[in-house]
Amino acid sequence: MESKIAVAVDDLTVAYNYKPVLWDIDLSIPEGVLMAIVGPNGAGKSTLIKSILGIIDPIAGSVAIYGKPYVKQRDKVAYVPQKGSVDWDFPTTALDVVMMGTYGSLGWIKRPGAKEKKRSLEALEKVGMLAFKNRQISQLSGGQQQRIFLARALVQNAAIYFMDEPFQGVDATTEIAIINILKELRKAGKTVIVVHHDLQTVPEYFDWVTFLNVKHIATGPVKDIFNDDNLTKTYGINYKVAVQQ
Amino acid sequence: MSPMLDIQLIAAVTAAACAIPGVFLVLRKMALISDAISHSILPGIVIGFFITHDLASPWLIIFAAFSGIITVVLVELIQKTGLVKEDTAIGLVFPALFSIGVILIAQNANDVHLDVDAVLLGDLVYAPFDRLMIDGADFGPKGLWTISITLVITLLFLLAFYKELKVSTFDVGLSSALGFSPVILHYGLMSVASVTTVAAFDAVGAILVVAMMIAPAAAAYLLTTDLRKMLVLSVLFGVGSAIGGYWFARWLDASISGSITTVLGILFLLIYLFAPSKGLIAVLFRQNRQRKEVSLLTFLLHLNNHDSENERRVAHLQEHINWRKVRANSVLQLAEKNNMITIDNQIVSLTDKGLEFTEKALDYIITNKDEKIEDMKDDFFLFRG
Repeated sequence: MESKIAVAVDDLTVAYNYKPVLWDIDLSIPEGVLMAIVGPNGAGKSTLIKSILGIIDPIAGSVAIYGKPYVKQRDKVAYVPQKGSVDWDFPTTALDVVMMGTYGSLGWIKRPGAKEKKRSLEALEKVGMLAFKNRQISQLSGGQQQRIFLARALVQNAAIYFMDEPFQGVDATTEIAIINILKELRKAGKTVIVVHHDLQTVPEYFDWVTFLNVKHIATGPVKDIFNDDNLTKTYGINYKVAVQQ
Repeated sequence: MSPMLDIQLIAAVTAAACAIPGVFLVLRKMALISDAISHSILPGIVIGFFITHDLASPWLIIFAAFSGIITVVLVELIQKTGLVKEDTAIGLVFPALFSIGVILIAQNANDVHLDVDAVLLGDLVYAPFDRLMIDGADFGPKGLWTISITLVITLLFLLAFYKELKVSTFDVGLSSALGFSPVILHYGLMSVASVTTVAAFDAVGAILVVAMMIAPAAAAYLLTTDLRKMLVLSVLFGVGSAIGGYWFARWLDASISGSITTVLGILFLLIYLFAPSKGLIAVLFRQNRQRKEVSLLTFLLHLNNHDSENERRVAHLQEHINWRKVRANSVLQLAEKNNMITIDNQIVSLTDKGLEFTEKALDYIITNKDEKIEDMKDDFFLFRG
């Protein structure tokens, strides 16, 4: 069965100060997969997501979301940045952060109303954080902060979810809670793309994987391509990981 | 209107207009940029003055605001080379622009009312006498009009783009992904900050305008965890300090702008010390309590682990847990006060409540699940993260 292509990346090159971070990336992500992007530190995993979302301007190449440029498809995409990328001392509450997920559908100037609040509360409930809705965000644990970010993405009600290391600094309970929600999203036909660090959990959590190290190494179903050969190509050392299938 | 009232009105409106962009500068950790803008608008003012020959011309504000934007652009350009950090870039740009302004004044404007003192310290005392006259009718001081219009612009900007400013301040990545260009918002905010600085500059000068932007926001930040309240509080602090500063100046017979800044400084200091949860004293108090509560928990766990009476003697506890007498006594008192232990004949026993508390705490330590201790949080600081 050949499914639609959700994200197509074509000849993408990104550089910081003329030093290439991503080099000539070609990548097709089919609709409905739960995909990990793996690679060593500095491989450009976050940069890839950010350039797909237009947060970073590439020096060459293009990106298509369901065949159209990202700026035309914003409403189809949700994004969870790295937890460490924001200041958690910002004066706001958990509910308010989740509400930010609704801003995209509102556009400029219009304020969120009762409908947006209701959707945000539902998303909070889904990630098990309803009891904390009025908690100031610095008073939340790392795992709770990550759940808030996840709720904010859920409220966007998108077709494609990009997540930058959602398991970073969370405990095992939260990790399982998050992965269950991601699996639910996939079941609902959504495409979920996750920057991931823990190679051990790749076969258990994901059905697709992309190997990245400045250059694109391989993309495909975990059962076909998650092997020592690709790991070695990506990490540069002879990587022996027992792949359980 | 009396000059007295005029001055207070100008000071109060200036403070309100400065406080609003100040909140976002503080939250974006860009407090220093207001210092840079306030200095580097000088060449803009001087050049504007040479072209219009009128110190009250609105063109002056536009020229000056433009040089404020140039400052921001230059800082970013230098920073982007990766050769110097942001604070260094700021430190390089604004003295350069400011010095251009100083030289231009010294060279050309000796005969006019535009001197370095006025630029640095402002001239609130004379502000009531420069009046807006249309067809012979008196419409009040020009300075009041300038700053009031600025305040209205700032308020409109804030009301229209509140949610955009909030999301781009909190999370640049999300803001960009949602289509709210952080670059546009950044320059929008910088334009408002520049215009406000120029308009306030006349009243309070280049140095004190920084205090009006930063001090109220920094104080409000310590008092609230709600952005709306932070904005309202900042405006109130600014206005209160402006009026308070005026009367302080009259009492001391000193510079008005200097007094306003002093009042702002004192206000910040008081809040820094006494703010209910983020103030210095509250933090120290909380740390002290947390230390006590960790001790209490250690003590309760010890009781829980040891059944024999020998282990539960008051004297033994002091030796065994290796605490000095004062600390041991204060922990015993804390436990007794909370009905967690009973002391009978120098033998300490856990009450049912103490037992329950210990078990819950243990559970929390093991599972690290916040829900388990929700109901304990009111009584104890320890679990408040």
